[in-house]
Amino acid sequence: MKTINRIGTLIERIGRKKRILIYLFLSVLSVLSVSSAFPSSHFPADTITDYYEVETIQMPKGLTAETDGLAIMPDGRIVAGFHRGEIMIYNPKTKVWKLFAEGIHDPLGIMAISNSEILVMQRPELTRIKDTNNDGVADEYLTVTDDFGLSGNYHEFAFGPIKDKKGNLYIALNCASSGAGIFPEVRGKLDTLGRPGRMYSAVPYRGWIMKLTPDGKLHPYASGFRSPNSIGFDANGNLFAADNQGDWLGTSKLYHVQEGKHYGHPASLLWKDGFPHVTPSKLPVKMLDSLRTVESVAFPHSRIADSPTQPVLDNTGGKFGPFAGKMLVGEMNHPYLVRLMLETVDGHIQGACAPFLVGSGLQKGNNRLAFAADGSLWIGQTDHGWAGDRGIQHVRWKGKTPLELADMKLTPTGFALTFTQPLDAVTAKQLANYQFQRYYYEYHEAYGSKQFDVKPVPVTSAELSSDGRTVTLKLAELKAGYIYELELGKLRSTTRQNLLNHLVCYTLNRLQRNTQANP
Amino acid sequence: MRKYAAVVIFVALCGLKIPLAFAQDTTLTIRAVEGLKFDVPRFVVRPGTRINLTLDNYDDMAHNLVVTLPGGRLRVVNTAIGLGAEAVKLNYVPRTPDVVAHTAIVEPGKSEKISFKLDQEGTYAYVCTYPGHGFVMYGAIYVTRKPATVPPLDKDPNVAANRKDDMGGHAGHMPNHPYDLKYPVVYRTFMPDSGPASIAVGLTPTQSYCWDAGACRLRYAWTGGFVDLTDHWDGNGKKPSHVVGDVYFRDRGGFPIRFGTADRLPDVHFKGYQLINRNPEFRYLVNGIEVRELIKPLPTGRGLVRYFTLGPVAGPVYFVCKSGDGVKYRPSVGKIQDGMVRLPVGTKKFTITMMAE
Repeated sequence: MKTINRIGTLIERIGRKKRILIYLFLSVLSVLSVSSAFPSSHFPADTITDYYEVETIQMPKGLTAETDGLAIMPDGRIVAGFHRGEIMIYNPKTKVWKLFAEGIHDPLGIMAISNSEILVMQRPELTRIKDTNNDGVADEYLTVTDDFGLSGNYHEFAFGPIKDKKGNLYIALNCASSGAGIFPEVRGKLDTLGRPGRMYSAVPYRGWIMKLTPDGKLHPYASGFRSPNSIGFDANGNLFAADNQGDWLGTSKLYHVQEGKHYGHPASLLWKDGFPHVTPSKLPVKMLDSLRTVESVAFPHSRIADSPTQPVLDNTGGKFGPFAGKMLVGEMNHPYLVRLMLETVDGHIQGACAPFLVGSGLQKGNNRLAFAADGSLWIGQTDHGWAGDRGIQHVRWKGKTPLELADMKLTPTGFALTFTQPLDAVTAKQLANYQFQRYYYEYHEAYGSKQFDVKPVPVTSAELSSDGRTVTLKLAELKAGYIYELELGKLRSTTRQNLLNHLVCYTLNRLQRNTQANP
Repeated sequence: MRKYAAVVIFVALCGLKIPLAFAQDTTLTIRAVEGLKFDVPRFVVRPGTRINLTLDNYDDMAHNLVVTLPGGRLRVVNTAIGLGAEAVKLNYVPRTPDVVAHTAIVEPGKSEKISFKLDQEGTYAYVCTYPGHGFVMYGAIYVTRKPATVPPLDKDPNVAANRKDDMGGHAGHMPNHPYDLKYPVVYRTFMPDSGPASIAVGLTPTQSYCWDAGACRLRYAWTGGFVDLTDHWDGNGKKPSHVVGDVYFRDRGGFPIRFGTADRLPDVHFKGYQLINRNPEFRYLVNGIEVRELIKPLPTGRGLVRYFTLGPVAGPVYFVCKSGDGVKYRPSVGKIQDGMVRLPVGTKKFTITMMAE
């Protein structure tokens, strides 16, 4: 807008004759830019903002809005925890913020119990915070569990809690970072064998997901996590944890977490019952590789996510658009969320991820996600000394369905892509609109990984279903253990909409049982 | 005990962590921080102490640290201003007898260690002589055999004015919160010289203590301010919070309550706290028995009154109050014998009054 005004002022200053020439030049420019954006179609230029609306919430004056935790209270108010220890409640109707509690050490997870009581996962413990005298301000801070180690290392964040249908709570404990040491005094048993390594676990259960049973006992549940910010359930009650690229993680990942399993970052193995008393990262990589359960979804670094956060189920029944029943994951370093399309193949969950809400006005630092009863999504943002943004944004679906990939399923010979709208048959059948390449990231101690064995995979046929929504692609080769990255071309719908997002990555851990070696 | 005297005095007056120290030898780090300040406003040592001092530059501009003889600070600062073309080469440090020791110019994010010995009693200064800094950025080294003669921090003429401004507990111009702090106030944060699950409590703007939720006990108490969390809040939170003021009590006896036998350390579990008029009453289990502890400031002078409430206990209860931690103890019931109070059987409530020595 500013540029246009400046050009206007400039034009005023120039003589009449020259003015005409400049107008001519500008009009040519604008024609060129429109035609390059839509070279072969006369479709209206629909964008994500036609379908979703992002509101930036006014934060209280004087608040450093590094949003650690965020939840919706039963009465619809938003409760958020901030880095400097404030727990504040926002009333979306009155747009007024009120202080609920103070002095919390990094409230990275909040679960509302009632309109006057919350569970807060703070660095040292899981705490039940309650307003007992109905003055709107908490006065009781009771320890639910602190039965885990704390070394004083800054990277020992704690995430969760989330509750399963049986009433068990789950929390996730970050490893320590070699970016700093530990305190002379620690809480819990110190084991110096846990000190070596980029991310380390020198006190119990760092790098674990823990289960708190209703009797108040905290049990080690699954190991092998580096920085599991954060955890969530899918529609079937499967527990998922996001983990961040780094040592032993070639790229960021989403794990389907099951009791007793190990997910690959070795530091936590030190605290596994019956495990040899050694520094786990010193064990042969082959052996460590054999102990781990691989991720359900790998988020290719910089393509999809650099730092994924909380997985959250779209349980809105369609009030948030066409992706109900599926999960979203927050992302710190990009101004978007990540959408998941999961399926069970050969008894294991795997699937695809794609950027979501690109260009919607969403900021970076999308750390916490919570769906309100009206189907809108609240997003808490932070940077915490890393990439990101600060504040809270509120995303509403405007009611129209965009053209997006709704689902991606593995077939014995390729993939079936289902879209939110029936596709224009001509473009949908053009093989050039489906550019696949595949690669993998190596499991090793060094930070991150390059992509190995990168190869384009030709599509040999594209069939469109009779309802126009599903394209079944045959690929020249399908190989387990690879990420299949698909760049979709300029697909359109019969409803005259353009495909909004073109990138999707499928983590192919397992082939279907009836898959032939070379389809 | 005596050989640690220099260190103990130092700790008591500045509330800083001393990682390693031997007789007449002390090690400390002073940070140059935002707003032309050294984070340590002053410290006290006995004559003959060797001081291993690291200047750690946390600011976004360059600084040095120059130790000057008693009364020499302003002379050195003014001479430094007149160094002209030689200034950079000399690190803004004039070659005068007033200079005891100095660092070079330390760039942001860098540190430098110097070592020097102060034999004569007196009030020395440490000052940044970088142009424009010397009139506001300085602190005091008290070399004395009588630390009790050191004036209170807020009345100390040898401490920089911008450090006295911080006495309310918070530095900087940006507000820390979207509200003004109301006392008592609780922060769970990383505190120096305590366990990682610590709680800083400001009873008043100038009377504070650190309670360790891991060990379930009072660790130390100070007057003259509360805490500065700026460093801990910064970035990804690597640095601990700072005590603002002078520590007068530092627990040395460990967890104080004993049930049954006087010499066996009990199991403790932190159960949280209830705010009573904003003041936290801590709850913890000691061998399964609930204990509540509410701490209030001494009505006059430096000290604390600790109000304990015990769950049902069979047998005797002991409370350890060893001397040498900076305070005199006065129990509401029982008498102190050999550093321990034996409470009458059936005691449900008692107070321990701690008065700064």
